[in-house]
Amino acid sequence: MIKTTPKSHLFRLAGVLVLFAVAFLLVKSWATPDSWNFEQWYRGDALIDIAAQPLTYGGNESCKDCHQAAIKKLRKFDHKALSCESCHGPVVDHVKGQKKIAKAIVDKSRWQCENCHDERINRPKGFPQFSQAGEIGKSIKKHKDLEAETPCLKCHDAHDPTP
Amino acid sequence: MKMDNSKIKLQAASPPLDLKAMAEPNPNSDSRREFLRNVLSGATAATVLMVFGPGATAFSKGAKKSSKAQHQFAYVININNCIGCGNCVRACKRENNVPAAQFRTWVERYVTTKKGVYVESPDGALKGFEKANAEVRAAAKRSFTVPKMCNHCDDPPCVQVCPVGATFKTEEGFVLVDHGHCLGCAYCVQACPYGARFINKDIHKSDKCTWCYHRVKAGKLPACVTVCPNKARLFGDLNDPDSEVAQVFEEDQWMVLKPEMHTDPTCYYVGLPREVV
Repeated sequence: MIKTTPKSHLFRLAGVLVLFAVAFLLVKSWATPDSWNFEQWYRGDALIDIAAQPLTYGGNESCKDCHQAAIKKLRKFDHKALSCESCHGPVVDHVKGQKKIAKAIVDKSRWQCENCHDERINRPKGFPQFSQAGEIGKSIKKHKDLEAETPCLKCHDAHDPTP
Repeated sequence: MKMDNSKIKLQAASPPLDLKAMAEPNPNSDSRREFLRNVLSGATAATVLMVFGPGATAFSKGAKKSSKAQHQFAYVININNCIGCGNCVRACKRENNVPAAQFRTWVERYVTTKKGVYVESPDGALKGFEKANAEVRAAAKRSFTVPKMCNHCDDPPCVQVCPVGATFKTEEGFVLVDHGHCLGCAYCVQACPYGARFINKDIHKSDKCTWCYHRVKAGKLPACVTVCPNKARLFGDLNDPDSEVAQVFEEDQWMVLKPEMHTDPTCYYVGLPREVV
């Protein structure tokens, strides 16, 4: 039989608290990821996870290996600043590893041209765009006889759009 | 203000109160004076230290900028160059599998009139912008497009409110979300003054622009910067003096969104009209 004293309840309480503290520290050490960054307060391995996301767009440099001539030519044209993938689709749809898996898209729709060059009130000053009249650039003589749905690429080259 | 103990004794003696206690010299008098003196000198010393000493940089932006990281990435959006084509929005969606009707980046069109400022962003400018009708055209004084995204703040409110440490700022400047840790409580969505965060419909976790961390680590530019046809979006390392962003920084003509929020964005705008919020 344990002898009870007027202070024994305090010892019991202290014992319970110590138990709780030990349990808390155990759970905490189990729940804290090994790579936890205590300075910035995040899971260090999260950076590896996020960096592991596969790339979709390769940029124009990814086209160089196979389409060197086309890219070289493009450098002289007004559309040199454009990303190939804006019109031709992202590189992952076209190449896997070093092999071509599908034909690259060639978006020849009028929308693709109009999206940048049709007149909009928000365009910066000096940006080449069709006249304010609305229908295809009536300011330009050659456009006058065209129907509204005539594809721009019927006459213009998408890479070298100079009229 | 100075009182010596003899005076206290005299005053205490006159009223017929607890004479025994009052007759003693006030034991607190000395220590109170000492206490006040300590407080005053402590406050003075602290103030001097804050202004001239090591504490001087503790609250300034400079302290964070001097981090030891090799890179200090920054983003520049040039309003003067943006044509509102929405290439960036489409590329971001595809690159990061952002669900429909949710956006990590979007473009807003501002139209200023005599009556006020009108802002629109139809489907985040995924398909660019429509032609303005005659009414709008007649009323418009000025119009421009503003790309928006996560500002990757130096002092991000979203990171402050996250209860589980699932969102954080790396030393290189990225504000990221750890999807393995996020609960989807959306505190951060509410905390962001720029509306840049959302709860991803597919994974039910907080999502936002990462400056394409995975691309930058692979030596590429973010997808939006890659496809921008008119150099309205620039990304680079401020530690590299030759980078385009460092040059913009050098010219010192940039602005940030909502500077009054003291979030210190590292997404810098060039040519930002005052109407933009």
